[in-house]
Amino acid sequence: MFKLLVVEDDRDLNRAVCAFLKQSGYDAVGCPDAGSAFDAMYGSPFDLIVSDIMMPGIDGYEFAKTVRSLNEEIPILFMTARDDIASKQRGFRLGIDDYMVKPIDLDELLLRIGALLRRARIAASRKLEIGSLRLDMDQRTAVWDGQEIPLTAREFNILYKLLSYPGKTFTRSQLMDEFWDVETNTTPRAVDVYMTKLRGKFENCPEFEIKTVHGLGYKAVVK
Amino acid sequence: MKTTKNHPAWSYFLAFFLLAAFVITSSMLLFLNYFARSAGVEYTRSNLFAAALVTFGNTVFLSLICTAVDILRRKVMVDRPVRAIVEAARRITGGDFSARISPKAAVGASQGFDEIIDCFNTMAAELSGVETLRTDFIASVSHELKTPMAVMQNYGTLLQSPELTEEQRVEYAKAVTEQSRRLAGLVTNILKLNRLENQQIYPQIRRYDLGEQLAQCLLQFEDTWEEKGIDIDTHLEEDVLVESDEELLALVWSNLFSNALKFTDAGGKVFVSLKTQGDRILVSVTDTGCGITPQVSRHIFEKFYQGDTSHATQGNGLGLSLVRRVMDIVGGEIFVESQAGEGSTFTVKIKRAANGEVQKDS
Repeated sequence: MFKLLVVEDDRDLNRAVCAFLKQSGYDAVGCPDAGSAFDAMYGSPFDLIVSDIMMPGIDGYEFAKTVRSLNEEIPILFMTARDDIASKQRGFRLGIDDYMVKPIDLDELLLRIGALLRRARIAASRKLEIGSLRLDMDQRTAVWDGQEIPLTAREFNILYKLLSYPGKTFTRSQLMDEFWDVETNTTPRAVDVYMTKLRGKFENCPEFEIKTVHGLGYKAVVK
Repeated sequence: MKTTKNHPAWSYFLAFFLLAAFVITSSMLLFLNYFARSAGVEYTRSNLFAAALVTFGNTVFLSLICTAVDILRRKVMVDRPVRAIVEAARRITGGDFSARISPKAAVGASQGFDEIIDCFNTMAAELSGVETLRTDFIASVSHELKTPMAVMQNYGTLLQSPELTEEQRVEYAKAVTEQSRRLAGLVTNILKLNRLENQQIYPQIRRYDLGEQLAQCLLQFEDTWEEKGIDIDTHLEEDVLVESDEELLALVWSNLFSNALKFTDAGGKVFVSLKTQGDRILVSVTDTGCGITPQVSRHIFEKFYQGDTSHATQGNGLGLSLVRRVMDIVGGEIFVESQAGEGSTFTVKIKRAANGEVQKDS
C-alpha cells in the first residue's frame, strides 16, 4: 500500500483529504505543519507528499525545498489557494511535480496522485510494461512478445514519453522541444515523420495505438 | 454649493444711465455745435437749462425702460435655463440620477443653452446607466453567492437528521458538493475579475507562438470532449506570433473553449481556427450548440448576464466579462455571431507580432 503524507494546517481539510485517500486505498498520514511532517518522515518513508503552501512557521516552498534536497525522487503535489502563475513557477522551480488550486476536487486529486505514483514507479524502475510490450530505458530497447523491435534513440524516447502518459495528447512543439536540439532547423512537421515510422514498426502490436488528435498533436492509446 | 451671484437692479440701471447719458450727451454736443455754427443761433442760459432738464429726464426715462427690458430678457434667456441646470446638477450631486432638464428650459434662451442641456441630459443618462449596473451587480453577486450557501446550509441541516435512507444521504451530500463547487467557481471568477478591473495585474508582454498556445489550451479540455462525444476540428495557421500577456490570453481561450463545449450537445462539433489578416490575427471558436438570440448577444459580455436565466447550465455569467476585460487590457477585440438553435462563433482579433525569435521561458 502506498503511504502518502498530507501537510495542511486547516484541520477540517486535512481530515477530509486523509479520510478520502484512506477510503481510496492509500495509507494517508496528516500533519498540521512542516515541523511535524519532518518528524513523521524520519519515522517512516513515504511514497508521495501533498502539501499546502501557506502554513504557519515553515511554508510549503521551504518545506518542498528541504524535502527535495534530501530526496530527489519523491513526488510532491502542492495543494494551495494561490492560483497566480508566479506561485506555480516558484513551486515547479523548486522541483514539485504537480499543483492543484483550492478548492480541489477530491476525485481529481486521486487521479493525479495515481498518475504521479505511476510515473514515479516508471522513473524509478526505468522500465515500462504494457501487456507483452516491454520498454527498457537503460538499454533503450523495445521488446514485444519476446521479439526486439529496432528503434532509433529518438524514436524510443518519443514512444517512451507517449506511453508514460497514455491518453494525454502532446503537441508537435512539445515533443520537438523535448527531443530535438534547440538549434535544430527542422519544422514541427518532422514529428509527423517519426510518428509514421513508429506506427509502421508497431503495426502488428495490439497493445497500443498512436492517434493523431485533430491536428493538435499525438497521443498513445493503450488498449 | 456656490449660488450664482445676483446683481441688484439699480446696478443695471446705473450702467444703462451712464451709457445713455454718454451717448445722448455726445450726440447732442455734436449736433448742437454743428447746428449753432451753420445757423448762427445764440443760446441763452435759460433756454439751454430748460433743454438740458428735458434731455436729462429723457435719459433717465430711456435708461429705466432699457433696464426693465434687460431684466426681463435676462429672466427669460439666462436665469431660467441656468436655474434649471443648477437644479438638475444639484439633484445628481445628491444621488438622484433620474434628474433631466426639460428641453422647454431652452426655449427662447440664449444661444448655446440648448447644446449644454443636451449634453447634460446625455451625461445624466450615462450616469444612471452606470448606477443601474452597479446596483444590479451587487444584487447579482449577493444572489449568486447566497443561493448556493442557502442550499448547502439546508442540506447540511437535513444530513444531521438520523432517519435518512442511504439514498437520501448520498443525494444530499451530492447537492452540497455540487453547490460548493459552484460557489468556488464563482468566487474564483469574482476575484479574477476584481484583480483585472483594479489593474493589479500588469500585462507581462512576451513574444510567443499563438498556435501552440491554442493547441495546448484546447488539449486541456480533451477529457471533456471525449466524455461528451463532441467532435473537435482545428485549422491553425502555423508560425503565428503574438506579443502579449500569455497568461491573460490563456484565460480568454479557456473561457471560449469551455463555453463552446458547455453549450454543445453530444454529437456536436467545435471548430477552432487561427488566421492572419495583414497584421491582425483572427482566432475564432465555432460551436454547433444552442446559439444565442441577438438580444442576448448584446448583453453577453455583461457581468452576471446569462442567456439562460433558469441557470440550468452551470456557470456564473462572469466568464465572458473576464474575456472582455482581458481584451481591453491587451488591446484586442471580440465579436460574437450567432444564430439561435444553430450555434455561435466567437472571434477574437489581436495584433500580430513580426516574425522573429520566439522568447522561451526565462
